[in-house]
Amino acid sequence: MTAGPTRSGGVPAPERPRTGSFSRLRRNLRRSPAPQALAFLAPALLLMVVLRLAPMAGAVGDSLFHYSLSTQSRRWEGLGNYIYLLSSPEFRQVLAVTALFLVIIVPVQVGLALLVATLLAERTPGIGAVRTMVFLPVAAPAAVAALTWGVAYQPKGVINAVLGWLGLPDQPFLSSSDQALLAIIVIMSWTGIGYWTMFLVAGLQDIPLELYEAAAIDGAGWWACFRRITLPNLRKTLAFVVVADTVSSVLSFVPVQALTQGGPSGSTRLIMYDLYNRSFALGDTSLGQAEVVLLLICLIGVVAVQFRLLSRGEA
Amino acid sequence: MTRHRIGAGLALAGALTLTGCAASDGDPTPPTGGKVEITFVGTDPAEDLAPLLEAFMAEREDIAVNYENIPFDQYDNVIQQRVGGGDAGIDVLLVDAGAAAAYASRGLIVDLTDDLAEAQASSIPAAVEQSWWQDKLWALPFWTSATYLFTNKDLVEAAGLEPPTAAGERWTWEEVVDAAGRAQAAGAEYGLLFEQVDLYYQMQPLVESAGGGSGAKGADLLTADLANPGWIEALEWYGQLFADGVSPRGVDANQTANLFAAGQAAFFIGGPWAIYTLTEPERPIDYTVAANPYFKGGSPAMATGSWSIAVSSSSDAAEAAHAFVRFASLTTPGNAASVARIIIPPTNQAAFDDFIARIDQADAPHTAGMGELTLSELRQAAVNRPNTVGFTQLTDVVGRASSDIRNGSAVEPTLRRAQAELQSLWDRL
Repeated sequence: MTAGPTRSGGVPAPERPRTGSFSRLRRNLRRSPAPQALAFLAPALLLMVVLRLAPMAGAVGDSLFHYSLSTQSRRWEGLGNYIYLLSSPEFRQVLAVTALFLVIIVPVQVGLALLVATLLAERTPGIGAVRTMVFLPVAAPAAVAALTWGVAYQPKGVINAVLGWLGLPDQPFLSSSDQALLAIIVIMSWTGIGYWTMFLVAGLQDIPLELYEAAAIDGAGWWACFRRITLPNLRKTLAFVVVADTVSSVLSFVPVQALTQGGPSGSTRLIMYDLYNRSFALGDTSLGQAEVVLLLICLIGVVAVQFRLLSRGEA
Repeated sequence: MTRHRIGAGLALAGALTLTGCAASDGDPTPPTGGKVEITFVGTDPAEDLAPLLEAFMAEREDIAVNYENIPFDQYDNVIQQRVGGGDAGIDVLLVDAGAAAAYASRGLIVDLTDDLAEAQASSIPAAVEQSWWQDKLWALPFWTSATYLFTNKDLVEAAGLEPPTAAGERWTWEEVVDAAGRAQAAGAEYGLLFEQVDLYYQMQPLVESAGGGSGAKGADLLTADLANPGWIEALEWYGQLFADGVSPRGVDANQTANLFAAGQAAFFIGGPWAIYTLTEPERPIDYTVAANPYFKGGSPAMATGSWSIAVSSSSDAAEAAHAFVRFASLTTPGNAASVARIIIPPTNQAAFDDFIARIDQADAPHTAGMGELTLSELRQAAVNRPNTVGFTQLTDVVGRASSDIRNGSAVEPTLRRAQAELQSLWDRL
C-alpha cells in the first residue's frame, strides 16, 4: 500500500473531491451580491418575461400562420403574412402616412417643448401660474381632448368662426385629406408639448447656474449660452424626450379612432389604427400580429438611430 | 419560520385557486336566489329593453336576466373578443342584419334550426331569412327596420314647393336634390341630411336603386362588385351632394337627426326611431313622413333588416339563454315588450301588426299614414343586407370608400381601389 502524498512532504496535495469545488462556489456566491441582486430583480424580470417577451414571441409565432375566419382553420403561412402586407398598397400608404406623421410631429413637439421650457425655466414673477397653464392639457384624457377638438374642427365650429371673424375662409380640417393629418398633429401637440416640457424644465434646472454666470462675465449672449451651455448639458434629457416622443407618437390611436377612422382617403391611417382595425374590427389576427412585428422592427431601428445620433460627441 | 409562512401562503393561494376553479367548472352560473343567471348584450340603452326583461322574468321566475349595453361602433369587436375568447359572461346576443353568417362562421352563435318552423309561423319571412346560412338558422327574428324621407314642411313650403307625404307619390332623388337646393336658397341651412352617414345600411339602397346590387356576388357572396356602373352612378350622386353643399361635410351620424329636429335641414333620411329626437325640442318642427326616394329610371329601394337574437356559443347556461331567446322572438308578448319603449318594428307578426296600428299616433299629426306606408315600403322597396361571411369586411371597406367620396375623392378610382381591397380581404377568408 502506497502512502499518499502529504503537504508536509512537499508533494502536491491530492485533488480535492468535486464536492469541495461546489462548496467553494457556494462560498463565493455567498460572498457575492449576485444572488441578492437577482432576487430583487426577479419580480421585474418575471414581469418583463410575462408581459413583454412572451407576448412578443407569441406575436412572432402567430404571424407565421394564417387563421381563416370562415373555416376556423389555421395553417402554416411562413412569411406569407409579411409578403401580403408589404405588397398591399393600403399598408404601404399606412407606412408612408406614419412616417410623414413622425417626421412632422416629433420635431414640432420637441422644438416647441424646448422653446417653452427655456422660457419657463426663467425665474420671473408669476412663472408658476404660466407653467400650470402649459401643463394643464396633460391632465385631459386623450378621448376628451380628441372629442373637444373634434367639435372645434366642425364646419360650423369655433375655429371656423374665429377665421370668419378675421375675414378668412372656412377650412375643412378633418374632412380634407390635405389638412386632416395636420389637424391630428395639433390635437396631439396640445397635450404633448406640455408633457415633454415638464421633462425639459427639469433638465434645464439641473444645469449649474455658474456656467451661465461665467459665460455672462465672458460676454456671451443668449444665443451663445443656449448653443454652448444649454444644449450640451441638456443632451441626455433631450435624447430621452426625442426617443419617448417618437415611441408614443408611433403608438398614437385615440384621435384617429375618435375623429377620422383613418380617413379621408387614408390620410390619417396611422399604423396603430390600421393594426387595431385589422386585428379587432376585421378579425384577421395573424395579419395583425405580422403588423405588430413589423412595427416593432421599425421602432427599434428608429430608436437605435436616434440614440446613436444624440449620443454622438459624448465622452 | 419565514419559509413556513411562505409555504403556508402558497398553499392558501393554491387552495383558493383550486376552489375558484372548482366553483367555475362545477357551478358556472352563480345562482341568484336559486335562479339561473344569464347576460344579454345589445347596443341599446338598458332602459329600452327593461320591459322585455321584466316580462320574461315574470314568466320564468327560475331565470334572472341581466342586460349589458355595448356601444354600436365597438359591438363586433367586443363580441369577437369576448365570445370568441370563450367568455361565459355573454349568454344571449343581438346579431345585426347581414352579420349572422359572419358570426356563425366564426363559431360565435349556436344553431337554432330546431326553431325554424315556429319562427316561420310567427314572424315576418324576411326577418327569418336574414339569419339563414348554410341551410341552418343561426338567430331568431327580433326587430326589423324601415327608413323614410322626413321633410321640414316650413322650409320646403318657403321655397314654394309642396312637401312629399305618406300617401303621395314617391319622389325621385333628383326631385329631392332640386327641392333641397331651392329650400337652401329660401333660407334652409342644409338641404338633405342622412341619419347613418357613409354606413352600408344607408348606402345600399342608393346603390340598389341605381342597379348596382349589394356589392357582394357569387354563390358564396364573396366576389367584390363595387365598381359597376350602378355603384359609380349612385356614389357620383352622393359625392356631388357634399361637393355642392346640399349636405354638409364634417357632420357625423350622431348629429344629423338633431340638426333636422332643430329646423336646420329641409330633408332627412332616417328610421322611425328618429321620431323621438323630433319630439325633443321645445318648439318641435312641422314635418311630413314619406316614402324613401329612388333614382329616376331606377327601382325603389329602402334599407331594412335589423337585429336578430341568438344564443352565444360561449354560454354556460345555454338552456336558459335559449328560453329567453324564444320568448323575445317567438312570443307576441315578449317581442312586443322589446319595443314598448322604442319606435322600431318588431318581427313577430302579431306584435308587428300592433306596431303598425300604433305608429300613426307616434307623433300625430306628422306621423299620420306612417303605418300603411311602412307596410307598402316593406312589400315594394325593402332590400336586405347580403348574408355573407365577409359582411364585416364589406361594411368596413364600403364605409371608408363612401367617406372618401363624401370628402371629395374621385368616385371611380376610389371604388376600384375599394373593390380590389375588399376582394383581397375576402380571399383571406
